[in-house]
Amino acid sequence: MAEEIIKEDNPEEEDTQKGKYMTFKSGHEYFGIEIRYINEIIGMQSITAIPEVEPYIKGLINLRGKIIPVIDVRIRFNQEPFQYTDRTCIIIINVKSTVVGLIVETIAGVEQIDESDIEPPPTISTGSTKNKYVYGLGKTGNSVKLLLDPEKLIKDEDIAAFEEMTEQFYQKLKQVM
Amino acid sequence: MAEDFSADGMLDMYLYENGQLLEQLEATTLEKKDADSFDEADINEFFRVMHTIKGSSGIMMFDDIMKLAHKLEDVFYFIRESKPDNVPHMELVEHIFQVSDFISAEFDKIRDGGDPDGDAKELIDELDVFLKKIKNEATEDGKELPPANVQEPPKQFYIAPVATENSKFYRIHIFYRADTQMSNLRAYTAVYSLKEIAEDILYKPEDIVTNEASADVILADGFQMMLQTQSSKEKIEKLIDGSGVEKIDITECTPDEYIKGFEAPVIVNNGKVIDLDSDVETIEARVQKEQEAKKSEEPKPGDYVIKTKEPGKPKQLAKTRKEKPAAQTFISVNVAKMDMLMDLIGEIVIAESVVLQNPDLKVPGLSLNNFNKAAAQLTKFTSELQDVIMSMRMMPLTNTFQKMNRIVFDASRKVGKNIELKMIGETTEVDKNIIEHISDPLMHMIRNSVDHGIEEKEERAAAGKPEKGVITLEAKNEGGKVFLSVSDDGKGMDPDKLFAKAKKSGLIPPEKTQSDYTRKEIYQFVTYPGFSTKEKVTELSGRGVGMDVVVKNIQSVGGQLDIDSELGKGTTMTLKIPLTLAIIEGIVMRVGESIFVIESGSIKEFLNVKESDMVYEPGGEEYVMIRGECFPVVRLSRKYHLEHAKEDVSDGIMILVEHEDKKMCVFVDHLIGGQEIVVKPIPSYIRKVPGLSGCTQLGDGSIALIIDVGGLLI
Repeated sequence: MAEEIIKEDNPEEEDTQKGKYMTFKSGHEYFGIEIRYINEIIGMQSITAIPEVEPYIKGLINLRGKIIPVIDVRIRFNQEPFQYTDRTCIIIINVKSTVVGLIVETIAGVEQIDESDIEPPPTISTGSTKNKYVYGLGKTGNSVKLLLDPEKLIKDEDIAAFEEMTEQFYQKLKQVM
Repeated sequence: MAEDFSADGMLDMYLYENGQLLEQLEATTLEKKDADSFDEADINEFFRVMHTIKGSSGIMMFDDIMKLAHKLEDVFYFIRESKPDNVPHMELVEHIFQVSDFISAEFDKIRDGGDPDGDAKELIDELDVFLKKIKNEATEDGKELPPANVQEPPKQFYIAPVATENSKFYRIHIFYRADTQMSNLRAYTAVYSLKEIAEDILYKPEDIVTNEASADVILADGFQMMLQTQSSKEKIEKLIDGSGVEKIDITECTPDEYIKGFEAPVIVNNGKVIDLDSDVETIEARVQKEQEAKKSEEPKPGDYVIKTKEPGKPKQLAKTRKEKPAAQTFISVNVAKMDMLMDLIGEIVIAESVVLQNPDLKVPGLSLNNFNKAAAQLTKFTSELQDVIMSMRMMPLTNTFQKMNRIVFDASRKVGKNIELKMIGETTEVDKNIIEHISDPLMHMIRNSVDHGIEEKEERAAAGKPEKGVITLEAKNEGGKVFLSVSDDGKGMDPDKLFAKAKKSGLIPPEKTQSDYTRKEIYQFVTYPGFSTKEKVTELSGRGVGMDVVVKNIQSVGGQLDIDSELGKGTTMTLKIPLTLAIIEGIVMRVGESIFVIESGSIKEFLNVKESDMVYEPGGEEYVMIRGECFPVVRLSRKYHLEHAKEDVSDGIMILVEHEDKKMCVFVDHLIGGQEIVVKPIPSYIRKVPGLSGCTQLGDGSIALIIDVGGLLI
């Protein structure tokens, strides 16, 4: 399902960017995000915390005048929080015009993973919530990268439900007007 | 269209240009709606507008728009040529509005990426009927049209040559040497070079730029032009003179011959015999069809250029159309680009302070005289730059007001009342974002006034008021706020009735009596959802929605609605809205490690309070006594669970804030200072946090959160 979405999303860039993944390390695992979602990678910035939001949303950064929310990937994956260092990076991703920064421990690099090397994740969940965002396991050399679906990564079920609600509200408002 | 990109550009251009023409058309129509008839200049203008819309819609292949515009053009053609003196003016006005509404609606569809699929047939039929009606009335003896028109050659319909006394008319025939390459382009160059001196120009073959085969025709028959100009023959000759020309015949001719165009010597026009017996419409329609067919065969982007050379077009190449005297020159800029510019300027300001306050400059003994001079200059320019970009976002309310004019017109006709709209201060400038937000509320308010406010004719007569009701729309700028008021001289509102009604519909608690409310509070009842004073539901209003939506919309831009009324005299509704959303004067403060901003306007005072002034409730609620008054206290640190904040009230500072007559105290660690801040929305990805309305970037590049006082009070 996730692959379908990705395909229809961006047909013309398929050739140059297809199969390339930005990989990074979080906890003990390596993760990969398809490269076409990546805007840029920046070093750690000062983050302005926002009260009363989900714990994984660390706050806002100011990227050349643009205010961008950043989320901590480790907390998002229910892993132990980590201390930010100068190796810590923020990956700015753009998913359907939503620009979000991902705080990750270390960037691993860009890797080519062919479709034939991608396997669906095991269906038996070990209690962690990771499988929601992982749509495939990419084999490169002797390691395995967990391939992330950025849309699910940044979207919370709660938020989705909330958006639906607001959408309905506006529909109603329109009818009324 | 070969490339998506160029087609998009064309489409944008099409929508933009024609949209403007429609607006202009509506404005003129509204202006003259109360007159007995349109004057000649108006008719010409309508004609031109419709013609342009028809032409460009043809190119874009929006058939229904084209046909409809064509039909209305026909109507105006008839009016202009035959000058019938019994055109039902109001009916015509309505037809114009219907057509412009239809086309606007189609434009909206196109803008949203859809297809203009509306069916114009009904409107076209109506126009047909209307046209027949005025025609029959105009020529009662059965003749279709005055014969004078028939003699006019089809290509000369649109804009009669601007004849001045000194104008001379020439017939020019250019022959090119047989071996000339691309003679069609050379011919075009000739036309182009004559453009400057020409008052009117016609040429044959017409399709010299689009049709390469026309080169052969030019080589064989020569290139013919009809020129109206004040220049002499010699000058023309000099201008045309170019390579490949073998011979130029320039003969002066009479205006009559000129009007006949090329027919006189060659009878054959474009290979077809001119049909002098058919009435003008048929010929015109045929020529139009041929031209349209030609155009749609080759809809290249270049057609924009050719279009203006088409004989039927307003002769813009010869004479610039007279602009309205008040018109200013505008360019339309993508809002995204404006926002980017604004962001960049913000960045420059920040970069400037980083440079000027750079720690490297603090080295003792450094001579900075020249640096400081240059720095002062830089500061001056950056602040000017900021002012300019801010003023660029400001737009006059004129357009919004014009729209209201139309609404009054439509609505008053629907309810059968005679109402005039007076506008005061329509040039008041407001931030563009705000304009977008107030258009709908204003519309509701005006409809309400038309429907509920102004009485029926008989009622007005009985009350000794003039038959014509007056609604006044006024805008003024006062103390950083814009006041927009809609007042009518209608029957006003009866507080007793309003109260009874509110009670009946259960909007207020049953135990309350009328004396619990002030007069103005009772008027505010009309803004409650589900409250409608009108017994009968009409098409315009009365469903009990409207005013509550108005209030919601206004509140979303930080505005307020104030209602005042006098029974029998009328009602005034006033919107108070901030001048701009983008910049507010704010006080920056620190709580723990976080920085917050509160809008200066809502701050009443800053206080140092002692522990003894505090009152603690067992439930955790805190109050502070200030000069004998008790205010609730909100500690930002506790509300937002911030660490390292001051706990002792005597260490920090209390800020007394007010929002819509409710007061409270906000406790913060310390104040940093007052500052003009640029409000940016919190990215929509983050769920809305109660009490926060946005964020802003401070001088050092860090981000501060803006407190929404109204949100804190909830």
